[in-house]
Amino acid sequence: MGKTSAIWAVALATMTALAACGSDDGDTPTLTWYINSDNGGQAEIARRCTEEAGGAYRIETSLLPREASAQREQLARRLAANDSSIDLMSLDPPFIPEFAEAGFLAEIPEDVAAAVTDGTVQGAIDSATWKDELVAVPFWANTQILWYRRSVAEEAGLDPENQPVTWEQIIEAARDQDRYIGAQGIRAEALTVWINALVESAGGQIISNPDAPVEDVEFGLDSDAGRAAAEIMETIGREGLGGPGFPNQDESASMFQFQGDRGSFMVNWPFVWPATLAAVDDGSLDQSLVDDIGWAKYPAVDADTPSRPPIGGINLGIGAFSDHLDETYDAVQCIVSVENQAFYFVNDGNPASHADAYDDPEVLDVFPMAPVIRESLEDAAPRPMTPYYNEVSTGLQDTWHPPGSVRPDSTPESSTELISSVLRGEKLL
Amino acid sequence: MEREQTARQKSLWWVAGVIVIVYALFPVAWIVSLSFKRASDLSSREFLPTTWTWDNYDLILRGDFQDLFLSALRNSIGITLIATFIAVVLSTFCAYAIARLDFPGKKLILTTALAVSIFPVISIVTPLFNLWRNIGLYDTWPGLIIPYLSLTLPLSIWTLSAFFRQIPWELEQAAQVDGATTWQAFRRVIVPLATPGVFTTAIISFFIAWNDFVYGISLTSTEAARPVPAALAFFTGASQFEQPAGAISAAAVIVTIPVVILVVLFQRRIVAGLTQGAVKG
Amino acid sequence: MTATPAAAGKLQVEKTAPPPTSDRARSERRLGWLLAGPAFVVMLLVTAYPIAQAFYESLFKYRLTDPDARAFNGLGNYAVVLTDSVWWQAVGVTVLITAITVAVEAVIGFALALVMHRAITTLRPVLRTAILIPYAIITVVSAFAWLYAFDLQTGFVNSWFSWLPAISEETNWFGGFGTSVTVIIMSEIWKTTPFISLLLLAGLAQVPEDLQEAAKVDGATWWQRMYKVTIPNMKAAIMVALLFRTLDAFRIFDNVFIMTQGSQNTEVVSFLAYRQTIGRLEIGLGSAVSVLLFLCVVLISVAFIKLFRVDLSSARGGN
Repeated sequence: MGKTSAIWAVALATMTALAACGSDDGDTPTLTWYINSDNGGQAEIARRCTEEAGGAYRIETSLLPREASAQREQLARRLAANDSSIDLMSLDPPFIPEFAEAGFLAEIPEDVAAAVTDGTVQGAIDSATWKDELVAVPFWANTQILWYRRSVAEEAGLDPENQPVTWEQIIEAARDQDRYIGAQGIRAEALTVWINALVESAGGQIISNPDAPVEDVEFGLDSDAGRAAAEIMETIGREGLGGPGFPNQDESASMFQFQGDRGSFMVNWPFVWPATLAAVDDGSLDQSLVDDIGWAKYPAVDADTPSRPPIGGINLGIGAFSDHLDETYDAVQCIVSVENQAFYFVNDGNPASHADAYDDPEVLDVFPMAPVIRESLEDAAPRPMTPYYNEVSTGLQDTWHPPGSVRPDSTPESSTELISSVLRGEKLL
Repeated sequence: MEREQTARQKSLWWVAGVIVIVYALFPVAWIVSLSFKRASDLSSREFLPTTWTWDNYDLILRGDFQDLFLSALRNSIGITLIATFIAVVLSTFCAYAIARLDFPGKKLILTTALAVSIFPVISIVTPLFNLWRNIGLYDTWPGLIIPYLSLTLPLSIWTLSAFFRQIPWELEQAAQVDGATTWQAFRRVIVPLATPGVFTTAIISFFIAWNDFVYGISLTSTEAARPVPAALAFFTGASQFEQPAGAISAAAVIVTIPVVILVVLFQRRIVAGLTQGAVKG
Repeated sequence: MTATPAAAGKLQVEKTAPPPTSDRARSERRLGWLLAGPAFVVMLLVTAYPIAQAFYESLFKYRLTDPDARAFNGLGNYAVVLTDSVWWQAVGVTVLITAITVAVEAVIGFALALVMHRAITTLRPVLRTAILIPYAIITVVSAFAWLYAFDLQTGFVNSWFSWLPAISEETNWFGGFGTSVTVIIMSEIWKTTPFISLLLLAGLAQVPEDLQEAAKVDGATWWQRMYKVTIPNMKAAIMVALLFRTLDAFRIFDNVFIMTQGSQNTEVVSFLAYRQTIGRLEIGLGSAVSVLLFLCVVLISVAFIKLFRVDLSSARGGN
């Protein structure tokens, strides 16, 4: 018995010790900011703003999952329960209409709205707007650019920096030189990002009337633009130009492939730059690789139509059930200040939504491609702004994957059919 | 069971034994090796690291993932221990009654336990999620401990009933005839006989609760209650687009250590516990 | 454990008494339920109530982010699910995974049980430890280990086995249905074979040694003894092991979640249910899938009990 009771005693002691942790006082209101994962920048900004507030409020961060769709699940589940502990949340723009429509986001007073949109790039403002009202605060704005190996471009006779290139030219160059193109062929949100950018660059739109009620939503996939997009994906997938891992290639897998011996062109977010430099510091990559990397605007579908790059990033939503709305309005303005955005850009590699941050010398030092990013953000096309974004995106991923199986004459049509019947509640996803 | 074996047979069983050991330990060795790889080494496609490093452990215990991992570890340990403790207490009472008392409904209880053990967790997680939200158990320790009981109780009841059935309860009476009081008889005779069973049941329950993933990802949303298996999905590299295989492996190794210790120390008892109730003895 | 002494004391008195009067029988009955009741109630509360609730929710059109549009839908959700190829596809994949894993595990598990049963005494503790580790390891951890082993970036499998005709340095295991399912099945087999082998070991121990010896004297070969003596004598153990593994494999979730997230058509029923309720927040549709999954599990149990006459009273809770 002695041995057993000792074991239980230890167990009980551990439990009490564990249960005792984690209670604290509170005269200053504590705001909880649900953040997506990053390099620690948001936590640092929270600390800075807490300090600046001088006791008016304290910001605590709480981490959301890695995948955008999983972030949405977590927040929606809590908000559906009228959870007052969510004061601020880092939101992926495509989910903002759904949250706004469900009444999960607190209204933003006009003076706050004016303050936080002043000087902000248009693409970012658009992504935070729903039914002509600003429903979230633009924080940072991501966009994809074309990364290329100078040696490959040169051999193909291309000069992407000065002369925008088309997907056709990229495909041809990769085919001729037996190299791999980097794009996101994985069945995930990244695939939707790619499809949308292709369709928009071809002059089309996935949904032509995004704020219509669910029964009246009209799709623009079954069009010349949709077919052009499908053709590009099909070619890269079927000919194996995306590399062996293409059907599950995400952003980082694309980057690794691009860094390898057979890298050529890649569409990807700016994070690849600091990540590549870090790998060089680490000794796993050679400096000569860095010297060979060039950047330019997202490739066009048609030489005469400028491309519409993807837009991502994070906007800050304010929880509708927050007990500290006034403090949260103050906090959000502190968080998105130009200094903080510039800091975040440098520290985490996440581009600012405020135009002034791009003039910051430190930003330009770390991101020599900042001007291209800024230009891309101005031209960027958001993914469909609809409260049913999750259904639309998942439906696209179901039908446009793997990329090699996409068929220009049937895929746009079949995906339109699938998404329509899912929206009518007649099918599962 | 010990029988005469020729030298040839003997060496054959040795070979078979070694094959089994390699089979069982290989994936574990792989994740351990992965956890000691440097970031640049992760894509080397080799089994072993070229240089061994503690970087990944540093990252989860002291670095960027410290908050995430340590709070998850605390939750996992606390929730699992409490759930195990409650399951063992409740099932000890229950199994005692089933093994020693005569009352109607015994069969009902055993059948219920069996039915609960085959229940698809995913089917009950949504209703539980809604209920927990309404009564404030969402994202709390009790909010996980209670569903964990649905995993641990059935097995505990069956294993313990099997154990208790084998206890020679007459000994208790014999001791009393020899002049011991009821309490003394129980403490000196029955408790030593029952303890191994209870202890083994506790270990098996611990494994089951420690293993949970579905409840962990569905019924929590912050560091307040999120257990380690669920937290692994939250690890990210320098940007949101990178999944740090090294840090995930290191965390995986750390949560495997208690399991390995328990197995090494108590392998005989665990096997007995798992097989004892398997077929009526 | 703290309350048992008192209970035992009380009982002790009753047991020594000659034929129990109805009074004593009643108090024993009361004590029985008093002790067993809490566990029973807890089990019912955490399963019966939620499944009833799931059934109720499955009758509504209900989306968590659009609570105002909640409306009674009768059996409409079931009609949607059952007429959808997505559901049948998931059922097919789940059945495929279940059938292959259980069949392979039965064979490997039996071999493992034989090795453990016959192993030299010195090796036995080591064997037991080795076999218990896959059983006790967290499924998610095992899933990550297998994922990284086969992954194109991190894995060693391609470089080790590139001499095989079907494998090259650039084999993308998670790029197609066949290879993805193969890895999922392999990891599932690795993780759960120990469980089945332990159940079979218990059965092996029950085969009377003298029957074996008698067959040996009669000149039966090893295979004949296996077929005529060992397997028939442990039929009950085999059936129970198969039933529990089948039910367990049918509920597979963790491996699929970590490795493929259902892409390349590897979606299984549990994952489908998860995606509808947790992912899409479609509580109504998702609850219908959950209830159907539950019915599948019941159906499998009934089929086993009726077809193979598995005696469940000789079994115990699964993994």
